[in-house]
Amino acid sequence: MSESVRQILDRFYPDAYVGRHGKVYTDTSDFMRITGGDVIVLDGQHYLVLRDEMERSYGIEDPKYWVKRCRHLESGERRILKLVFHEEFSLQMGEIAVPCYRSPRKEARILDLVRGDFRFMQGVSAADDAGNNVRILDVVKGRRLDNWIHELEVDHKTYFFEYLPGILKKFIVSCQGIAYLHAHGEKHGDIRRDHLWVAYDRDDYVWIDFDYTFNFHENPFGLDIFGIGGLLLYIVGKGFYSQEDIVRPGDNGRDAPSIVPGDFLLVFKNRLANLKKIFPYIPDELNQVLMHFSSSTRVYYETMDEFLGDLRPCLEQMG
Amino acid sequence: MDAKKILVAVDGSENARRSINYVADIIKDCRRFEITLLSIEHLPDRDFFADDAAWKKACAENRDAMLAFLADGKQLLAEQGVSEKLIHTDYIESCHSPMPGEKGYCSRGTSIALDILHAAKDGGFGTVVIGRRGVSKAEEFMFGSVSNKIIHSGRDCTIWVVQ
Repeated sequence: MSESVRQILDRFYPDAYVGRHGKVYTDTSDFMRITGGDVIVLDGQHYLVLRDEMERSYGIEDPKYWVKRCRHLESGERRILKLVFHEEFSLQMGEIAVPCYRSPRKEARILDLVRGDFRFMQGVSAADDAGNNVRILDVVKGRRLDNWIHELEVDHKTYFFEYLPGILKKFIVSCQGIAYLHAHGEKHGDIRRDHLWVAYDRDDYVWIDFDYTFNFHENPFGLDIFGIGGLLLYIVGKGFYSQEDIVRPGDNGRDAPSIVPGDFLLVFKNRLANLKKIFPYIPDELNQVLMHFSSSTRVYYETMDEFLGDLRPCLEQMG
Repeated sequence: MDAKKILVAVDGSENARRSINYVADIIKDCRRFEITLLSIEHLPDRDFFADDAAWKKACAENRDAMLAFLADGKQLLAEQGVSEKLIHTDYIESCHSPMPGEKGYCSRGTSIALDILHAAKDGGFGTVVIGRRGVSKAEEFMFGSVSNKIIHSGRDCTIWVVQ
């Protein structure tokens, strides 16, 4: 007869307070039923479920029932278990709907590809008794890069000259990580602000969550490159700027700069790409990289090498 | 390059059917033109499927549909008066196809436009015909555009873009 949760906890975790002694799962297909106090067994290892992961967006928390915060009972360490959830959906990018799919095996493949690479979250995959591909992830101890930048209490000029060179240097390393994926025929699939973290212990930037995929046959890495452009815009600007942010006169009482539709992003038309118009000390070269993502551009980046080829000299120029 | 050798790149869409109709209209009374209808295999993304069996099934259906489209296109040209002897079809398989096929050039799946131009150069085609979806600038940025890449990268051939 198999062990109960209480017996498993007595064996591995006798002193812990666990409010609920649930069930032992070796088949995770019905992930909605698995909750705090249950134990998932994979490859002979035991994971006590603590709670469902939450997605935070616009101040609202939305449970991700297929992602479980767990404690690995053999080591006592925290882990995140991503259970199989085949979801096909439409990702809205401005006015464009992009068909996307959540693919467990894609994420498992990338975890294998980036094992030991500090630029990416780490983990392994294991099949449960029903053959579901469960990803067992190390918890990234850190915080979102965008939040870290947002909370720096300095004005943009100070940020630009004192913080940005160091941030850009690490961001380029992160971009090289994405180029590495592309060189191996893989894409991150969901490059956005909350998927690049600053690790507390090393101060490096770490990509998380690779399970989205999309299928663009003529521009296979287009969505990744677009995401990178958005991140760069946020990093350089210390935030995004809309038309409403610009029309306000500056601190010194100068008139608001003249802005045209071509100054905004091609896809998100309310985000200013031409940051030089509000921060004139931004070098032309760096501003030009941003403008490649604007609606006035005639040339798009098709590869990360093209993008990095333009971005690296900007860092050198900033000293 | 022989301008009278025409390569019509098709993808099974309505735009592709319009391209075939247009070419038929233009050359139906000209006896010396030779037409090849070309399709580049574009596999459904493997990661969009829960398992390989479902993916292989979709790949097979995809191939069957494209081969049927090529056969229909050939018939359409013949019905318009183009000599059957001068109509050919070509199907370039994906290098990653799960189905055994002919050896030779295969599509790596990174650019259909470059595969078409390779076929044009390889076959000595002087005219390349391609349909155009008419995507927005933003869509072109995100998804890429086969017709635009052909226009920008094509060398030593005339390109007809049918919209």
